[in-house]
Amino acid sequence: MNRSIRVLALLGALALPAVAGAQSITGSISASADIATVFSFGAPSALSFGTVTPGTAATGSGYIPLTRNVGVIYSLPDGATTGQLTGPGGSLLPTYTCGVGSTTTTIVSAFTNCNTAVANQLTLAAPTGLLTEYVIFNGSLAAAQTNVAPGIYAGTIRVTATPN
Amino acid sequence: MTPRTGLHALFALLLASWPAPLPAQAAPSLSIVPVQDLAFGLLLPGRREAITANDVSRRAVVALAGSGAVDVTLVLPTALETHAGDRIQLHFAAGDAALLTTGGATLSPLDPLQVNRVQLGSDRTVLFVLGGTAVTSHATRPGHYTARVTLLLSNPGT
Repeated sequence: MNRSIRVLALLGALALPAVAGAQSITGSISASADIATVFSFGAPSALSFGTVTPGTAATGSGYIPLTRNVGVIYSLPDGATTGQLTGPGGSLLPTYTCGVGSTTTTIVSAFTNCNTAVANQLTLAAPTGLLTEYVIFNGSLAAAQTNVAPGIYAGTIRVTATPN
Repeated sequence: MTPRTGLHALFALLLASWPAPLPAQAAPSLSIVPVQDLAFGLLLPGRREAITANDVSRRAVVALAGSGAVDVTLVLPTALETHAGDRIQLHFAAGDAALLTTGGATLSPLDPLQVNRVQLGSDRTVLFVLGGTAVTSHATRPGHYTARVTLLLSNPGT
């Protein structure tokens, strides 16, 4: 009988830790990141006609890079006077072709008109990744336009880019 | 008291005492309380951003409590994702995790890729911290990316 008691007590002692030891729990935490919208102009390269001999034609090219990872709407807020030059002899308005390209020299997507108050927007879709493109202006002055009073003729080409 | 009476009394004692020890054993049970998410914040495309276990403001922090030896296992995501399915790769390495006191002192570095056996002391709370590395590409699109890290605590042998 004493042996039975000892066995029973031993069973009781063994059983308790086994039941209490069965523990396992889970929890979770969140990980997160936000990818920024990249949308910034870089340093421009000025459009310069150089030193022009009066009565001769002249050309010049300039560009400004834009790095983006979203769509964009380019516009020319100065409309008809975009890129107008002023100097001692008054105002000169070169003839421009303008648009956007993947290099600094070749326009791939052109504005319909670089010197108009309407229809001067250019909308480009979001790229598949981070992209640097160039807004390019090619200007030309006819010979008759340069036959003016000597001096410095300067102006500003303003381009607005809006994330889209 | 006859021997049989004594045996019955012992039975009764054992049966009566069984429910009582279980709550007493369950008291030092394990607990997991998330304190801080693993937050990479604002990232740029084409970058590799690492959060170390020492990065107080961005590492994940989980409060653990319990007693005795405990196995800590992580189920780690391979990427952060947007609802649209865009992904940012995640990498974890040995040393990206650690066990700290609530005062911030390091108890032991941990390998998040392995099962880590740690010793919890007398129901005192310790902090599990986790860093990691996010790798964006030039093609990574703007948006909010998330993932979940699952933490499993278990007593050895269970």
